[in-house]
Amino acid sequence: MPSICSKCLCICGLGLALVMAGCGSSSSSSSSASSGASASSTTSSSSGPLSVGLVLPCPTNDLSWCQQGYQAAQTLQQQGLIKFHYLANAPQDTASASQIMERYAKAGDKLVIGHSSWQDAAFAAGKAIPGTDFAYGGGGQTATNVATYNEPIYQAGYLAGIIAAGISKKGKIGGIAGPDVPLCHAELAAFDAGAKSVDPSIQTTNTYDGDWNDITKGKQATLAQASQGADVFLACGGGPASGMVQAIKQENLSGFGYVADMSSLAPKNVVGSIIYNLVPYFTAMVHDVDSGTYRPGKAYTFGLAQNGVYLKLNPSYAVTKIPASSTAAMEKALAAVKAGKLTVPNIGS
Amino acid sequence: MNWNEVIGSSALVPLFSSGVALAVPTATAAVGECFSERAGNLNLGVEGMMLSGAFAGFIGTYYTHSVAVGVLCGIGAGVLLGILMAGLSVWLKTEQVINGIALVLFAQGLTAFVYGKLFSTSSTPTISTPANLHIPLLADIPVIGPVLFKQNSLFYIAVAAMLGVIFVLYRTRFGLSVRATGEDPAAADAAAISVDRVRWIALLVGGATAGLGGAVLVVGQLGIIQTNVTAGAGWIAVALVIFGRWNPVYVILGAFLFGTTDALQLRIQAASGGVTSGFPYEFFQALPYLVTLAVMVAVAIGARRTAQPAALGAPFRKEVAG
Repeated sequence: MPSICSKCLCICGLGLALVMAGCGSSSSSSSSASSGASASSTTSSSSGPLSVGLVLPCPTNDLSWCQQGYQAAQTLQQQGLIKFHYLANAPQDTASASQIMERYAKAGDKLVIGHSSWQDAAFAAGKAIPGTDFAYGGGGQTATNVATYNEPIYQAGYLAGIIAAGISKKGKIGGIAGPDVPLCHAELAAFDAGAKSVDPSIQTTNTYDGDWNDITKGKQATLAQASQGADVFLACGGGPASGMVQAIKQENLSGFGYVADMSSLAPKNVVGSIIYNLVPYFTAMVHDVDSGTYRPGKAYTFGLAQNGVYLKLNPSYAVTKIPASSTAAMEKALAAVKAGKLTVPNIGS
Repeated sequence: MNWNEVIGSSALVPLFSSGVALAVPTATAAVGECFSERAGNLNLGVEGMMLSGAFAGFIGTYYTHSVAVGVLCGIGAGVLLGILMAGLSVWLKTEQVINGIALVLFAQGLTAFVYGKLFSTSSTPTISTPANLHIPLLADIPVIGPVLFKQNSLFYIAVAAMLGVIFVLYRTRFGLSVRATGEDPAAADAAAISVDRVRWIALLVGGATAGLGGAVLVVGQLGIIQTNVTAGAGWIAVALVIFGRWNPVYVILGAFLFGTTDALQLRIQAASGGVTSGFPYEFFQALPYLVTLAVMVAVAIGARRTAQPAALGAPFRKEVAG
């Protein structure tokens, strides 16, 4: 029997576990400036890069939501616009998220971006530190120093639907998402609407499996729809999308990637991906901070017309040949949206 | 709604195939957990062991392009965590519930950390899953054939592991020792069985099967990794042990019931039009849990005595003579 107090050891063990859990969710700063040092003052756009803090709820290589945020920040850093620090796998609850955002603000970041639907956290941090500008993703309310950005993914979903109608052999398309939130509901509804604009007789089915992170559920949901005749798919959410891509790879069907370019996961089966391009968003925010026009916080939304979202086709797609008429119809719709002549329906629920 | 699309004869095979596939990783972990709990170890760290097994299996297969190496890595990761759990629960005799939860947190943190360090800037890594086998003669049996005998090699490894654990538990002297230490460790100790040694081994077996379950999930089915890829399967395994009344055969049936109901609810959603049908989709998500809970309650009401091993969760301290 050990002579050390077993309770002490248990507490140490629990402490070690918590430390490891904490290590798993934090990551090193990507810029050369340490987060402890105060950032150079950047009150106008002519004096040096803006110091930015970026908080991500998932890993930087999730080939989806967080990867897009991270890569956009890296692009701006390479352009010399910003120097950013980031935290990946951040805890999602309001108290923790606002603490992390406040920490970056106190360390000298002039703009702190919470890349998730963290309205309450951003508001709390904005109230606590009124001198710093904050932003959060997903759309919602704004405050004096809190802006939000909302990606109209549904617009690119509409274009994907146009192509889907052209390549579906069985005349049925499917949508898979996690919880039924307006972002995903609108994306899947636009997918159906785009397909019906080309082929009114096409059948559609949508499944909400309730979990953003469960790849197995996403795959099974796709296989369920496939067993009932659907052969082209669109997903919303990292877990459902990854699961859907695994399912179409297994059954040799077709599908569209979500938020980032997923063609590397199934090069022959991914028709294209809906890309959510954060570069225009971050650039606009940084420009507004630099020029002093950030406040009151705005709701930034850049759609197809401003390249905030776009549909990137996969040149290696090989399940079937995309009919030239589909590509033409898609280009026509894209041009119409850009010219303001066509408004894609935004059905949130 | 066309019910034929969901439970018609042509839909049954994909339904049960899906159900079985969904069930196997959880069932493997649950049978191992049943073995551990029959010896008296309350191992709540199954989710952590499955997750580590999944990550280790993925990393093993990714770097060596060998499914066998991946499976061994998965089992190895499960065993390592089993050693940690046994060190805390059996050697130091600390509170088993806390040990289990701490283990899960530890595994979640460690896997996310290692994954981020190994693959942080490159694109998402994937591995190819093994192809489905086609067992001659058996695969041609209608309905059961395609469901059970056309799965991939990892499915059969998992089934063999489960059958092995059941065999050891009921047909070997060691299995008898396991059951004895769970029911009455003092009597087992008096019969010259080393209670701590039996519990150590039972936890290692539990860890190995949980790691195997995680490896089967990722290497055999998904081919991709994400944080929390097991999505709570380990916790369901713990619940299934209670559902199965600590009998591994019932545990496997419970896992199959849960998996098939899950597959069924996805198909009902797809056939009914999902949210457009006006039926709340959250009900479909709750269905597998509701069905499993209902069966468990019905069985418990009908049972004559509690099936829980009497010494579950209680560390055994040898009485010192004199």
